[in-house]
Amino acid sequence: MTKTLSWIFSLLAVATMGLLLAIFIWQSVPVWKHEGWGYLLEKKWYFRQHEFGVLPMVYGTLVVSFIALVLAVPVGWGAAIFTSEYLPRRLRMAVKVLIELLAGVPGVIYGLLGILLLRDWVYDGFEKFEPLSGDTLLTAGILLAVMILPTVVTLSDDALRSIPSAQRLAARGLGLTRAESILFIVVPQARRGLGASVLLALGRAMGETTAVFLVVGRQDNNLPDNWFSLRAWLDSGQTITSKLVSSETNIAYGDAIHWGAIVGLGLILLVMTGAATLLGTAFTRKPHA
Amino acid sequence: MKPFSFLTALAIAGSLVSTAAADTLKINGSTTVNLVVAEAAEILRAENKLDIQVDTQGGSAGGISMLADGLVQLGMISKHVSDDDKAKYPKVNFVENTIGVDSVAIIVSKDVWDNGVRALSKQQLKDIYEGKITNWNQVGGAKSQRIAFFNKEPGRGTWEVFVHWVYGSPKAAPQVSFPEVGGNEETRNKVAGTRGAMSQLSASWADGQKVFALAMVLDDGRKVESTNENIANKTYPLSRPLTVLSNGPATGTAKTMLDFLLSERGQTLLPKHGYMNLKAVGGQKY
Repeated sequence: MTKTLSWIFSLLAVATMGLLLAIFIWQSVPVWKHEGWGYLLEKKWYFRQHEFGVLPMVYGTLVVSFIALVLAVPVGWGAAIFTSEYLPRRLRMAVKVLIELLAGVPGVIYGLLGILLLRDWVYDGFEKFEPLSGDTLLTAGILLAVMILPTVVTLSDDALRSIPSAQRLAARGLGLTRAESILFIVVPQARRGLGASVLLALGRAMGETTAVFLVVGRQDNNLPDNWFSLRAWLDSGQTITSKLVSSETNIAYGDAIHWGAIVGLGLILLVMTGAATLLGTAFTRKPHA
Repeated sequence: MKPFSFLTALAIAGSLVSTAAADTLKINGSTTVNLVVAEAAEILRAENKLDIQVDTQGGSAGGISMLADGLVQLGMISKHVSDDDKAKYPKVNFVENTIGVDSVAIIVSKDVWDNGVRALSKQQLKDIYEGKITNWNQVGGAKSQRIAFFNKEPGRGTWEVFVHWVYGSPKAAPQVSFPEVGGNEETRNKVAGTRGAMSQLSASWADGQKVFALAMVLDDGRKVESTNENIANKTYPLSRPLTVLSNGPATGTAKTMLDFLLSERGQTLLPKHGYMNLKAVGGQKY
């Protein structure tokens, strides 16, 4: 009975995913026909002229996620080493619960904090680079960093804890200091788990919607000539998610190509987050080196 | 594992949701019209025990599309239903029930106002919109100051009224890429908190303390402000109807809501939120 049911439910889950992909592909067919590969490679999105190029939005998504990772990963790993290696067991659980609570705070709450505080900090703090407003890719990236930090911390902490204590004891017995045993014995063995925490956090960062929507500025077609230009981070931009929740979705409905372009954005996002998550999961599964 | 209890629970939950939805009057659309309708809904909830949900997803375009899809009984729009909208939903019989009139203002932040910019012409707006003018000193500002233009999202009633005046129709407007803003609250806050900022906003939201409404310079050189008088005699060019949209004539609870909005008591809600009621504009068409 249990076995049959669990089979049915697993099949249901797989079928849902398959159906989802199928619908997204089917609904976005008009735009692929209309734009071809240009849909992925063109730099302009002008829906009234039926020009749909997603590159600036892919750029926006990648940049804000990258900023978030750069800020959140070192802090998260550091915090995880502290909670797993230095804190006594009870205290560790308390801190971990608090951090995991942070992960459960809805995006819109972070977004409001972003509007209240972060926009002004970025706007005033980077004044000499003359940002046009406080709504920038950087603002969104910093906000996302705060949001993905709990994911990084808690997954890294699990990874570090999964290394057997015997390893630490042996290291200490051989005369290594505590810091040395952590850095040269524990961390290298947990590197897969630590890497997975980054990839899973990346998946969350790319998919986050409301908070980004509120502070990214939602400016279309903002693609710098040089993808690695740092100054461009202080301009407003558009991410895939901020486009998807904009009012354009209402306008697109009923126009097959435009609607296809919007659904296609969903498909691209699904592939991007899916890849990060799958890669992250595969990373953890492999046996430790 | 008891699959029965689980399924029963599901069925009960499902029936609860569907009965609750059946009696609920659902309304969605423009944040501008929402101020009035939300307050009317409060009154009808308390006095007539009506179950009403008012939402502002997607502004006027959201109101139109959700009405057309049958998700709501009334849509709130702060513009006219365009031919495009009608073409998109050929089976829907849009009925515009206008409840009042509002104007769209071009608003600027305090530093722009203090810099001496007080009025803009249609040509100047066009040049700013097309990115030919990027500094306030090109349009009357004493000091050099970059223009931080926040464009209302396409589909917003405010935006459509703006491009109607400047370009004749939304279709004729060039595609531009500025940072975009959605609802009125967001627009006001972002303009208030940004140096050199400008956007389009319902005039009633321009408080004259943090954000300021510019006068419009007409073709004959006259400067007109968005006062009630100028809106009523139509010299101010950016006025618009505040409309509650129904699919066919409103019936049932939707009609109760509409009748209340058009009643004397309902009409007093409009000036309360800075709009003009039908009496104040002398019953003209907008």
